[in-house]
Amino acid sequence: MTVTEPEKEGMPPLLGSWKRVYAVVLGELLLCILLFRLFSWAYS
Amino acid sequence: MSRLDWFVLGGALLFVVLWGLYKGRGATTGEGYIGGGRDHRWWLIGLSIIATQTSAITFLSTPGQAYVDGMRFVQFYFGLPIAAVVLSVTLIPLYHRLKVSTAYELLEARFDLKTRLLAAILFLIQRGLAVGLTIFAPALVLSVLLGWSLHVNILLVGTLVMIYTVTGGTKAVAWAHSSQMVIIAGGMLLAGVMTAHRLPSHVSFSDALHVAGGLGRLNVIDAHFDPNNRYNLWSGLIGGTFLMLSYFGTDQSQVQRYLAGSDLTQSRLGLLLNGMIKVPMQFLILLLGALVFVFYQFHTPPLFFNPGPVKQVMAGPDAAAYRAIETKFARARTDQSLRAEAYVSARHSGDAAEIALTKHQLLQSHAESEAIRREGVALIEKANPGTNPNDTNYIFLAYVLSSLPVGLVGLVIAAVFSGSMSSMSGEISALGATTVVDLWRRLIGGSQGQREVWVGRIATFAWGCFAMAFAEYAARLGSLIEAVNILGSLFYGTILGIFITAFYVKRVRGGTAFYAAIVAEIGVLLCFTFTSISFLWYNLIGCVAVVGLAWAFSLAQSQSPGAGPVSPA
Repeated sequence: MTVTEPEKEGMPPLLGSWKRVYAVVLGELLLCILLFRLFSWAYS
Repeated sequence: MSRLDWFVLGGALLFVVLWGLYKGRGATTGEGYIGGGRDHRWWLIGLSIIATQTSAITFLSTPGQAYVDGMRFVQFYFGLPIAAVVLSVTLIPLYHRLKVSTAYELLEARFDLKTRLLAAILFLIQRGLAVGLTIFAPALVLSVLLGWSLHVNILLVGTLVMIYTVTGGTKAVAWAHSSQMVIIAGGMLLAGVMTAHRLPSHVSFSDALHVAGGLGRLNVIDAHFDPNNRYNLWSGLIGGTFLMLSYFGTDQSQVQRYLAGSDLTQSRLGLLLNGMIKVPMQFLILLLGALVFVFYQFHTPPLFFNPGPVKQVMAGPDAAAYRAIETKFARARTDQSLRAEAYVSARHSGDAAEIALTKHQLLQSHAESEAIRREGVALIEKANPGTNPNDTNYIFLAYVLSSLPVGLVGLVIAAVFSGSMSSMSGEISALGATTVVDLWRRLIGGSQGQREVWVGRIATFAWGCFAMAFAEYAARLGSLIEAVNILGSLFYGTILGIFITAFYVKRVRGGTAFYAAIVAEIGVLLCFTFTSISFLWYNLIGCVAVVGLAWAFSLAQSQSPGAGPVSPA
């Protein structure tokens, strides 16, 4: 069998494309890291 | 515990069981029982994924971790959102297209039966042992602090879980998870609000954070690269990503949750929801631990939070020496409270020199009381050879029992039970599903009708009984428990490597992947035995070893005389 065929996929209910959804998830991680760094610095 | 606490605890647990039974009724086929009818919405999948990952020890250990070591543990979860995105792009579409019931079915389609069975059996071994600890660890803490019997605790959690999991399968587990998450979130949120409220009236939330930060408890990000340091930015982002890829992509206890989605979109959104919630959620739980730490800057904590070994010291010849250390500790902590008060007052005055001076004095006073505490712990170890000198898991619940109001104590204990039940139910349901789909259905050739529902129930029941029996046995394992705890990382890298090879290394064929996995697993076990590398890195090592070896073996095979051309699978 071939396991790498592209999958037909539906649109996400928000943001219009899956790329934007993934960008939001990864962006939130980046934001968390920056905020945590700021938090550590502000209260050190 | 008061009557109100018992009422809250009993009511919450009864509701979880009845809700699971009610929502999980009506499974008439193996697919309905194992696949949950494949009609779950994204929010139900997301809650179920979080609940499976969240065990009771998460709530007992995580705040204690912040109390002792600060908040850097949150970095452990940084790989999760990355893994959620990677899996949404790669494996989830594949699972949906092939309409598999377990992750390991994919491996037979790509390689061969023995590779599928190897991955399924590695999962059954590591998850089967881990599920016993899932209920043992919190049962131990509850039994010591509340004086309940350890056996009754294990039996209670195991029986409650099996009532709805064995009866209703995946659907019952998912709906019970949703109610458990409400109890867990409610209990922890109220505990956090109440902890902030119980600080001295002149200590604001910002003051509390300055005290915690001044004493090194808000060290969230550690960007220094050190492979022997368990929790830093790089181990979280690199090692953590591989661990999470393996856990969410190849561990049936998680794969089963999102395969129950009504379509690809629901499964993806469910996993991505978990990717977005988990890091802030762990941060808040750690912040709760930091607040408990601040609370104890203004109130004297016990010298050692686990009362079991303390009782043994007090019953032996070292009782007088221990009492003297306790008195010295109480005096040092009173001094520390005064220093903390002075630091807060200096912050209110805004005088930079005074702030620096009082902070220095607070740090000094904290170091002195920690030194006295270490003397007490050394005496405990001397009086109880083999006892665990780490009381991290006891800190939060000891605080809850001594300092939170009636009713909330019952709710927090219900949250601990819910955590224990949520992870156990997800795990035994997955163990049952793998046993049925990858062993019974594949090797014996059973049908998918009503008979398979009963085989699934028997398998789930058997794994539940095994988990309870192992939890009973775990009490005698002592220090081996830690080894069992890192068992996941010993196998996850290899399993992930098999899946990555299946997906990306087209030239590799069945037998090659199987032997590469065997050699890589031996390599990981040798690393564990002979090196001090932190366990998160085993996920990376195992994974890279499988992919590299499989590629090298297939290359050697294709170059050996008589070998035919290798075509992509």
